[in-house]
Amino acid sequence: MNTIIGMEVHCQLATKSKLFCGDSTTSKDAGPNINVCPTCLGFPGSKPKVNKRALDFGVMVALALNCKINANMFFSRKSYFYPDLSKNFQITQYEIPLAVSGYLEINNKKIRIRRVHIEEDPAKLNHVGGDITSAKYVLADYNRAGVPLLEIVTEPDFESPKEVREFLEKLSSILEHLEVYDSSWDAALRVDANISMEGSERIEIKNITGFRDTERALAHEVIRQRGILRMGMKIQRETRHFDAERRVTKSLRKKEFEEDYGYIFEPDLTKIEISKEWIEQLKKEMPELPDHRANRLVKEYGIDEYEAKVIIYTDKHLADFFEHSCKIYKNYKEVAKWMITYLLKSLNWHEISIRESKARPETFVELLEMIDKNVITERLAKEIIKDYIDTGKSPKQIVKEKGLEGFKSIDLDDVIKRVIDENTKAVSEYKSGREKALEYLIGKVLEKTKKAADPKKIREMILKSLQMI
Amino acid sequence: MIFIDSLVFQHVRNAREGNIDFDDFSQKVIEKSEKIQKKYLPFVTLVEKPVKPEKKGKLFYLPISVKDCICTEGIQSSAGSKILKGYVPPFDATSVRKVRDEGVFILGKTNQDEFGFGTFSINSGYDIPRNPLDPERSAGGSSGGAACLTAVADFPHVALAESTGGSISSPAAFTGTVGLTPTYGRVSRWGLIDYANSMDKIGVIGKCVNDVALIFSAISGHDPLDSTSLDIPDEDFTKNLNQPIKGMKAGVPKEYFEEGVDEKIKKIVWQGIKKLENLGVDIKEVSLPHTKYSVASYYIIAVCEASTNLSKYCGMRYGLHEPLDGNFDEYFSKVREDGFGEEAKRRIILGTYARMAGYRNAYYLKALKVRTKIIEDFKTAFKNVDVLLAPSMPVIAPKFKEIEKLEPIDHYMMDILTLGPNLAGIPMLSVPCGAVNGMPVGMHILADHLKEKNIFKIASSFEKVKK
Repeated sequence: MNTIIGMEVHCQLATKSKLFCGDSTTSKDAGPNINVCPTCLGFPGSKPKVNKRALDFGVMVALALNCKINANMFFSRKSYFYPDLSKNFQITQYEIPLAVSGYLEINNKKIRIRRVHIEEDPAKLNHVGGDITSAKYVLADYNRAGVPLLEIVTEPDFESPKEVREFLEKLSSILEHLEVYDSSWDAALRVDANISMEGSERIEIKNITGFRDTERALAHEVIRQRGILRMGMKIQRETRHFDAERRVTKSLRKKEFEEDYGYIFEPDLTKIEISKEWIEQLKKEMPELPDHRANRLVKEYGIDEYEAKVIIYTDKHLADFFEHSCKIYKNYKEVAKWMITYLLKSLNWHEISIRESKARPETFVELLEMIDKNVITERLAKEIIKDYIDTGKSPKQIVKEKGLEGFKSIDLDDVIKRVIDENTKAVSEYKSGREKALEYLIGKVLEKTKKAADPKKIREMILKSLQMI
Repeated sequence: MIFIDSLVFQHVRNAREGNIDFDDFSQKVIEKSEKIQKKYLPFVTLVEKPVKPEKKGKLFYLPISVKDCICTEGIQSSAGSKILKGYVPPFDATSVRKVRDEGVFILGKTNQDEFGFGTFSINSGYDIPRNPLDPERSAGGSSGGAACLTAVADFPHVALAESTGGSISSPAAFTGTVGLTPTYGRVSRWGLIDYANSMDKIGVIGKCVNDVALIFSAISGHDPLDSTSLDIPDEDFTKNLNQPIKGMKAGVPKEYFEEGVDEKIKKIVWQGIKKLENLGVDIKEVSLPHTKYSVASYYIIAVCEASTNLSKYCGMRYGLHEPLDGNFDEYFSKVREDGFGEEAKRRIILGTYARMAGYRNAYYLKALKVRTKIIEDFKTAFKNVDVLLAPSMPVIAPKFKEIEKLEPIDHYMMDILTLGPNLAGIPMLSVPCGAVNGMPVGMHILADHLKEKNIFKIASSFEKVKK
């Protein structure tokens, strides 16, 4: 049973002001309905005015996604009654979007992009006393109304939720490299996904926030739909929503017809010409993109291609962190290894991004330097990373506060000697063939070194000492 | 320098010289307006105590009225609709701000067909304005209140009005006033409550061409707040008044003198055309072959746009509110059922239908194509002439009793002469040309985009010889 998935990805463009008025998009501390004006509230007599910077951002993304950019574009009105729309229509693009026919490559597979268009974000609805299906009432916050959104529509080219996640991670990294997107914004990336089992009706899952939840929602849907088909039942076409807390999808409405949005051209805005000169200018301004950067990291720092891709596609800020660290610590391969294996693991555990954490290149490399200088062992360093992410204290400070300094291999000899002296019973048990006694002795050494030493090394050293007895 | 005169010009000169006491004058004007309101109902809102202007501008102490669909900060602006009752905008329309900056004071908001949906002002959510020349008759629409007040006021006054398909020419013709509908994009629409955005134009109704040119010069100009506003240099249109017109070329579109236009009106307008010919204007017949499609094209585009514009009125953020009951669909439906009049509902339904998937190509997109053809007609005609001359309306102001008998399609056909020019976005002015049965007849002077100066030249001379 083949899975077929297509997506509409909505990303908020990180312009300073909204798409059609001068209100701020960023003052997050504002209370509800503060960053608003007659235009984004849809007051009678107000008119939209296009924020050109949002178009710049859209064109750059379209270029990065290998799209064909339309020379002339229009905005359109998409009509539907919903309280999150201040005008009960959304200004979006219909007939002639910003760009069409692109692709993004993930693991040597091309995911085709059908179209890229710009539209205004609706208000944020706050469902009070439940979720969308059970809330008592709903509060509308128009601070979000009019924030520019880029909608990227893919062809149904995904065969698994994992591919979807890889796509979204790469897309997000591209957006961040272009500096048109801020992943720290609330609901900066939202997905509508269509998923079906080959030969069956498709299900639309609406408004999933972030790529972790997208993968989860789709994974749940694969299991659910396969279950239905295995029981010999049919899948009915419907719209579902993802309950992020319970990690399941729930039915919203049966969908028998295509929705009819009664599109007309937006008569308050004129045709916008995207000239070759404009595009060329933006190409010049465009920063380095992820694929190029991955190649460069391999060449410049001698790290594996795999490592480069993990660092870059996970998060642009992780790549920045890497390059910054490499400026102050010259063993690049070690930086990559420690970032991917341990730092990333800790971040994932906490479900935070590098930017949200208190990790900084200056403090991170302290750890590697302390290992090099034999101040701490690698094992201890792994423990310290957890504390480091938790508390934000520098590794040096952690070592100092916990009194972990000085557990060098030389000292280990002393500790082992003492443990052997103090545990004659265990020693003789081991000698008489009881393997477990060795583990006991290793444990004692670890205890005395405050888990600072490497158990493998301890084992070797104890065995050596015992042989001499 | 040419001396331009009118009650308005005299008043402004007097005020600027310090001969007018604002409190005294404004109070007198308000009292007169109250009397007019009792008799002819031109106002939705009549201001009690006008705001004293601070700037001694070109329109110092001039009383103006503003059509209800044009936003005025601090004064209810409801576009003649019950659904916007109580809505007091937090900002001025650009045109209002511009005349305030020149020193005007606002008397009140004039009545109109709800959102501009009508030709007789009978589709107002409030009272129905009367024609001051015969209160049994309509003052025209949708800017009926503006024309009514202009016609009857014996004090200096000019009205800011608005036209989408003929809402300035109709009431100007019916009341014997002068109404200018400018080139689309010449006057900022910021602050105009939308009917059909691609055709809405703020214009002026005045007692004479001079007054209209004066106010129009003040309200026109580029405005970054309106993306469809044209970025062109400001002009002083009063410079075109009292200018020689000998050698100018005028076209008479034959389609505008065909069936459906009252024979008596045709005769009066032809007499007017002859007067211009006597002044040395070269008259020739022209053709606008797509005229017969203008009613269909206009109404489809207008209702499509209008039905989206009216979606936002649902009792949630401003205007009419009702006790919260049921889910939001039920609540919105209730407010809209109570707040909109018959004609608004008709246009919402028509517009929603014409843009539905499956009908969109046949109606909405087709109408846009026809519109292009109509624009081409005018462009072709204006290659050879400076202005076009035609009747403004096919009939004189009808009696309310007669209007009752009309079907919606008859109403729409009343706009046959104004829809083409409004679709094309070209400027037009209706100037009184004579009378039939004691009721005024308007002559329409049309010009190519941004050629208002041609209109003012012709209209200014015509006004003088007409008498």
